[in-house]
Amino acid sequence: MALFAVLQTTFLLVLLPLGTYQRKVSSEPLPLTPESLKVSINSTCQCLNLQWSVHNLPYHQELQIIVQIQISRIKTSNVVWVGNYSTTVKRNQVLHWSWESELPLECATHFVRIRSVMDDAKFPELKSWSKWSSWEEVDVQDSLGHDTFFLFPKDKLVEEGSNVTFCYISRSNQNNISCYLEGIQVHVEQLAPNVSTFHLSRVPFVRPKGTNIFCDVTQGEDPKGTILYVSKVLEELKDFSCETRDLKTLNCTWDPGSDTALEIQPSQSYTLFESFSQKKKVCKHRNWCTWQVSQDSQEMYHFTLMAENYLRKRTVHLVFKLTHRVRPMTPLNFFLENINSTNATMTWKVHPIGNSTFLCQVELHHDGQIIQQNKVFMEMNGKYLLSEMEPDTHYLARVRCAYGNHFWKWSEWIGRKFTTLEAAPLAALDVWRNVKSVPGGYNVTLFWKPLSKFHANGKIRFYNIAVENLDKPSQFNLSILAPSNNTALILHKYSYQIRVTASNSMGTSPASVIVISGDLGDKDIEEERVKGTEDGFSLSWKPQSGDAIGYVVEWCDHPQDPLCGLQWKKLGPNTTSTVITSDAFRPGVRYNFRIYEVSTKWIASLLEKKTGYSQELAPSDNPKVAMGSLTSHSFTLSWKDYSTESQPGFIRGYYVYLKSRMEQCTSGFERTVLSDAPANCEHKIDNPEQKTFTVENLQPASSYEVFVTPYTSTSKGPNGTFTKVTTPDEYTHMLIRIILPMILCILFITIVCYFKIQWMKEKCYPDIPDPYKSSVLSLIKSKENTHLTIMNLKDCIPDAIEVVNKPEGSKTQPLGIGKSLTETEFTKPATYLYLLPTEENPSDPGPCVCFENFTYNQAASDLGSCGHIPVPPDAPPSQLGLLNSPENLLKTLEKDYTNTLGEISAGETSLNYVSQLASPMPGDKDSLPTDPPVPAQCSEYKMQMAVPLGRASSPPSEDSSLSSIALLDQGEHYR
Amino acid sequence: MDLRAGDSWGLLACLCTVLWHLPAVPALNRTGDPGPGPSIQKTYDLTRYLEHQLRSLAGTYLNYLGPPFNEPDFNPPRLGAETLPRATVDPDVWRSLNDKLRLTQNYEAYSHLLCYLRGLNRQAATAELRRSLAHFCTSLQGLLGSIAGVMAALGYPLPQPLPGTEPTWAPGPAHSNFLQKMDDFWLLKELQTWLWRSAKDFNRLKKKMQPSAAAVTLRLEAHGF
Repeated sequence: MALFAVLQTTFLLVLLPLGTYQRKVSSEPLPLTPESLKVSINSTCQCLNLQWSVHNLPYHQELQIIVQIQISRIKTSNVVWVGNYSTTVKRNQVLHWSWESELPLECATHFVRIRSVMDDAKFPELKSWSKWSSWEEVDVQDSLGHDTFFLFPKDKLVEEGSNVTFCYISRSNQNNISCYLEGIQVHVEQLAPNVSTFHLSRVPFVRPKGTNIFCDVTQGEDPKGTILYVSKVLEELKDFSCETRDLKTLNCTWDPGSDTALEIQPSQSYTLFESFSQKKKVCKHRNWCTWQVSQDSQEMYHFTLMAENYLRKRTVHLVFKLTHRVRPMTPLNFFLENINSTNATMTWKVHPIGNSTFLCQVELHHDGQIIQQNKVFMEMNGKYLLSEMEPDTHYLARVRCAYGNHFWKWSEWIGRKFTTLEAAPLAALDVWRNVKSVPGGYNVTLFWKPLSKFHANGKIRFYNIAVENLDKPSQFNLSILAPSNNTALILHKYSYQIRVTASNSMGTSPASVIVISGDLGDKDIEEERVKGTEDGFSLSWKPQSGDAIGYVVEWCDHPQDPLCGLQWKKLGPNTTSTVITSDAFRPGVRYNFRIYEVSTKWIASLLEKKTGYSQELAPSDNPKVAMGSLTSHSFTLSWKDYSTESQPGFIRGYYVYLKSRMEQCTSGFERTVLSDAPANCEHKIDNPEQKTFTVENLQPASSYEVFVTPYTSTSKGPNGTFTKVTTPDEYTHMLIRIILPMILCILFITIVCYFKIQWMKEKCYPDIPDPYKSSVLSLIKSKENTHLTIMNLKDCIPDAIEVVNKPEGSKTQPLGIGKSLTETEFTKPATYLYLLPTEENPSDPGPCVCFENFTYNQAASDLGSCGHIPVPPDAPPSQLGLLNSPENLLKTLEKDYTNTLGEISAGETSLNYVSQLASPMPGDKDSLPTDPPVPAQCSEYKMQMAVPLGRASSPPSEDSSLSSIALLDQGEHYR
Repeated sequence: MDLRAGDSWGLLACLCTVLWHLPAVPALNRTGDPGPGPSIQKTYDLTRYLEHQLRSLAGTYLNYLGPPFNEPDFNPPRLGAETLPRATVDPDVWRSLNDKLRLTQNYEAYSHLLCYLRGLNRQAATAELRRSLAHFCTSLQGLLGSIAGVMAALGYPLPQPLPGTEPTWAPGPAHSNFLQKMDDFWLLKELQTWLWRSAKDFNRLKKKMQPSAAAVTLRLEAHGF
């Protein structure tokens, strides 16, 4: 029992301290509780800096802990951020941590508290959170100053694409504050009674001088604003590379990317660091840096290039062996020696790099293309023979070298242009001739094609022509200066051998031989048509003799030009066909080809003629059609002047189009189907040589329209105007057949009557016997009283005149004339007085009887007999019946007025008369107006005046108008 | 206005004095010396040229600052730029300035403005802007020399800068970059106003220097009358 009591006591004694310990652990603060928490603000980075310590760590060793941090804004319950911070801690160690706030810390009060927990598997018993520290408050608004407005953050530097929050504190309780980003108003949110914020997302780089944020506060206050500096993002370093040219200096280069310089941030700096030597160099330039190779035979290099600005760092690494980064310097002393027509020697030197050899690359260029390329190994002096070049050719020779021990990069090229020397021309000229026969000889024009550059081997200076007479041994030479390509020779009618060579400074080409035969042997060869295509003309021919050494096809590129542009193509003896192509071929142009056979004696003889178009076109014009043989049922069309040769295609025939009012086409014409036909009826003529056509079976007295157009294989000619044809009436023809013979008969009778007038007169109107001439009278005179006589009418003295008034409307006198007569009695009483014998006229030879013949124009008669009667100037124009228009009227009136007053002479007036007095009149016609026609002796006939009606009514000519108008005016005047 | 006998005697005495001093008036000694007239005219011309030049430069520079500084209606109160010499002055005060004071104010203003402008040039980020500013500084230096020449011709001493008052272009720690831009804005604006005022100053001076009675009066005044 005592033993039990002892054991019990011992157990209790053991348990007691344990229980005491447990009580102690549960009642005292946990050992990881943070203490002495201090919070401060860094405005530049908008950071809350935390500082605390953990005093009562249970162990002395370093422990891994997790610290949980809670941050509230404005009030403790408004937690804006919670996060863990893992770190190691020792007893009494002061810990630091920083938090960057999105909102500028000046604008709001912040609260911070922290707690921690052991993060170590060795102490699982401490795996529970400590107690929170007390809230630590941070507020800097009181320390801002006495201004009423603050805008934060000030002059902040961010990277492009960042999000930035701005806030302002307004102590003036002013609500209408507007803020602008680069002049554009931003949306503002109220955070607290005096605090507002606005947020900018993904800000761009604007300018090195920063982006302006400006707030429009109360008038009169200092303007409030801030600047946001947006930096471009520092780019990754690219193309970092180092190399040496002499194993003494390394040159490192890189692509720096864009510059990130701002007003408050300099350009990014570059630093080169070499790991093996632990050397560092700040580079002065943005994209390159030199590094002195150490003298201690360092082979390997490990470079780190670091670019840095205020916001970011970028690094790039490069490890290499020095001898693997050797790029030799550009070779020097490059020369070209011993240049001839095909070869040249190039020499050069390189800068030595130790005892190394060099690999050099040699290139020969011509016209921008590599002709030759080769590689040579060398030490210090290089030499290379350029061969197989062409004479008189421009080349570029160049060389570059690389380090021989290890190829890294070629050096830059060094080279020079040069020209090889000339050589004698390589090939004979391609020569052809044009021979024209002239009286007493030939006119020979030689043509040749310039040698190609390959065959010329230099600049051709002149062409030599040697002409040898084969019939009468003689020869002459001439030289033609290049670049001429033809010459003309006048030769006698002999055979000649002509040798043409080309010469340059180094020699003469082989000769090209042509023989002109004494007999041209022009044969009448029929021209054959060929069809051309866009690719040219395919020609074939039949060999005439078996010993031809070749064939020549000759044509003109411009057949319409006088110079023609002669072309030729030489072909081998076994060739009997070829395709002629030329860029000069144009559609619608006829090309004539002549194929010659060249004999073994170099004589060319014409073999065949071909003609054709590369592309036939529609006829360019229509024929001018002449009309003939017009009858009431037919007419003939003719266009014989139309040239088919000058058309842009072979004329295959013609279309004759006929328009008529008939619905049906006349026979020979067909109704057209095509809508583009110019008329409904057409007739096709298939023969291009048929240039006349008779349109038959027409209706008499009908109108037709006809049009002729040619056609080629392509199309018809252009649209043209139709020619109108009207067929005559059928009876007109008959009338002509009747009337013409009648007219001929009458004419015949008239002629017969004229020649037989005496006979007719005797037969029809025999002469009245004159009593004075009667034989009876002589008989009386002789036998009877001499007083006996025959009464003579002249001896009669009339004692009275009876005027017989003719009734009005007499058929023999027009109404107007009758009227004028009546008026005449009152207006011109003197007219008749002239006719009557008066005593005041003692010169009157005797009494006279006046008979009037009213079959003549009385008015004219009055004028003629009674002198000038002026037309009054105020005669109404309407009475001037001859005048057609008011203009004529006015002109004439003016003219007439003048003329009638003084210009119309008596002579002019008298020209209108035809005196038909049986006996001659005394005085001449000029005295008519002043001296009226008073017959010296009375006669049986009154003066008769005939005014032809046709003349009176004919339009007045320049000379006759005055008189004729004056005459008619008088007539009209007396109406 | 009635003249008393004392007044007549005073006027006569004054006239005699003037006539006595006439041979000593430089403006009237025109035996080959053209006087300060041409240099005043040149200074006036240079002022007008600088006005024109500044119009282009200010446009470029304000665009470089960005909105709102380059906006035509941006007209903030002149609160920050206290150290800049102020060109605006009451018209009556301006009219009452004598030539010496007028020229001295011009000289001092441009001395300060040139110094500020050189600071502006050092801060400019773009090479083109630096070139334009440097060119303008050279021209402004020429204007300063020209004003000094006119002052020397008229016998005025150049104002001596007080030691330690040389303006510097170093923003203080409390000076934000935004306010610095505002200072730049005001510098250009004040420079423009000064050039405008100087044109008026030299025009006035030019008219005064013309060979007239006014010129005589001016010279007499300049010689202590």
